[in-house]
Amino acid sequence: MSQRATDALFQSLFLLTDIRAILRKTAPLHLLSAEEKKEAEKILSGVKRQVEILEEELVR
Amino acid sequence: MRCAGEIETRQIDENTINIDPIQVGGRLTADAMKAVIAYGDGYSVCDNCRKPFRLDYIKKPPIADFHADLASWLDMDVCRLVPGARRGFQAVCQGLVGKGDPVILTALSHYTEFLAVESAGGLPREIPKTAENRITADAAAETIERVIRTDGKTPALLFIEGVDYQYGNHHEVREIAECAHKYDIPVLYNGAYTVGILPVSGRDLGVDFVIGSGHKSMAAPAPSGLLATTDEYADTIFATTAARGDQTGRTFGIKEISMMGCTLMGVTVMGMMASFPHVRERALQWNQELENSRIVVDALRSIEDTAVLSEMPRQHTLTRVDTRASFDAVAQTHKKRGFFLSSALSKKGITGLIPGATKIWKFNTYGMTRAQAAHTAAAFTEIARENGLTVND
Repeated sequence: MSQRATDALFQSLFLLTDIRAILRKTAPLHLLSAEEKKEAEKILSGVKRQVEILEEELVR
Repeated sequence: MRCAGEIETRQIDENTINIDPIQVGGRLTADAMKAVIAYGDGYSVCDNCRKPFRLDYIKKPPIADFHADLASWLDMDVCRLVPGARRGFQAVCQGLVGKGDPVILTALSHYTEFLAVESAGGLPREIPKTAENRITADAAAETIERVIRTDGKTPALLFIEGVDYQYGNHHEVREIAECAHKYDIPVLYNGAYTVGILPVSGRDLGVDFVIGSGHKSMAAPAPSGLLATTDEYADTIFATTAARGDQTGRTFGIKEISMMGCTLMGVTVMGMMASFPHVRERALQWNQELENSRIVVDALRSIEDTAVLSEMPRQHTLTRVDTRASFDAVAQTHKKRGFFLSSALSKKGITGLIPGATKIWKFNTYGMTRAQAAHTAAAFTEIARENGLTVND
């Protein structure tokens, strides 16, 4: 069992859900304010990190 | 894009501003979506279900606490989760209405209230609405008297909508409850369009039952809802089973008959629970929602010959409008006929209007950001101008 991989899986899905919420809040044009861009950037960076963990745990 | 097999991925709320009157209050919060991801499996909340094996006793996840929190939030004594408001109506009718008993509904009651009464063998009797599409205490009193006179029985129950589904109007709930109680008639408050989006206190309203809809107004997956009541009625409505198998002698613990045992056993309860802290908070921001509603309503009213059929000024985000002399007049000669309006809105990123509707229709602005309300308002006036209608600034 890789608890680390499972945690990373859920964490990445949760972070992507936060992106989904941003899409909903800014529909239909998706023109993000400076603050929203900063928030999205932070979330996406977190997603990348979780995907890296998944790669470390499952593929490498 | 498809999510599985032939199933399209639904992206309505990611890509557009949704004004569907029944959908907007039930859209999930991000936390509810996360709970859905984690608890999608069927009996996912039952991992730690221990004696007495009932949903409202489960401590992990904290479903027992959630029940208590809901009752307290609504100023009621006891609460149960139900698969939709309609099942709450049905449970109350099952407990209080006998065959041939008259039950008071209103001219603005939802069809599921009628079905609930019918399922118990009751006879629906309506309180008429006023010319302004409101249900008043005077009309309730007259109806109760009429029913006692003509049916020869005191009604077993009275339903009243906090806000009705047709006009989004508020009604004289407190006064009606007072009036009904003079005849010892218990009162059921239908909060499908209030519980979860604006503050509701069952105690302040003086009602005996508060019913809410999770998927309509509590940012929860369908089917979900709640039934809250007082200690006075809890034992009747939530009576536990006394059944015993005649061959096996089996008994069934403290399962509640009207709930058919456990109710929301997975993604529904977890979504509802995950949204609850946000729902409790958002109900306190109701004035901001009303401001958004008024921005869109004002834009529609600025289009000549457009009438708002709901009470004014708007006190709810669901509004019924009459555009027979404006958008429907355009539809008579437009190449897309009645579909021009939904099509034009769609091009501007707005969905939720029934395709083809140009006469009398409803929309709901609940959950919009201020920018989305402004966008929606501008879309209506732009479409009006583009089609030769006069817009009064």
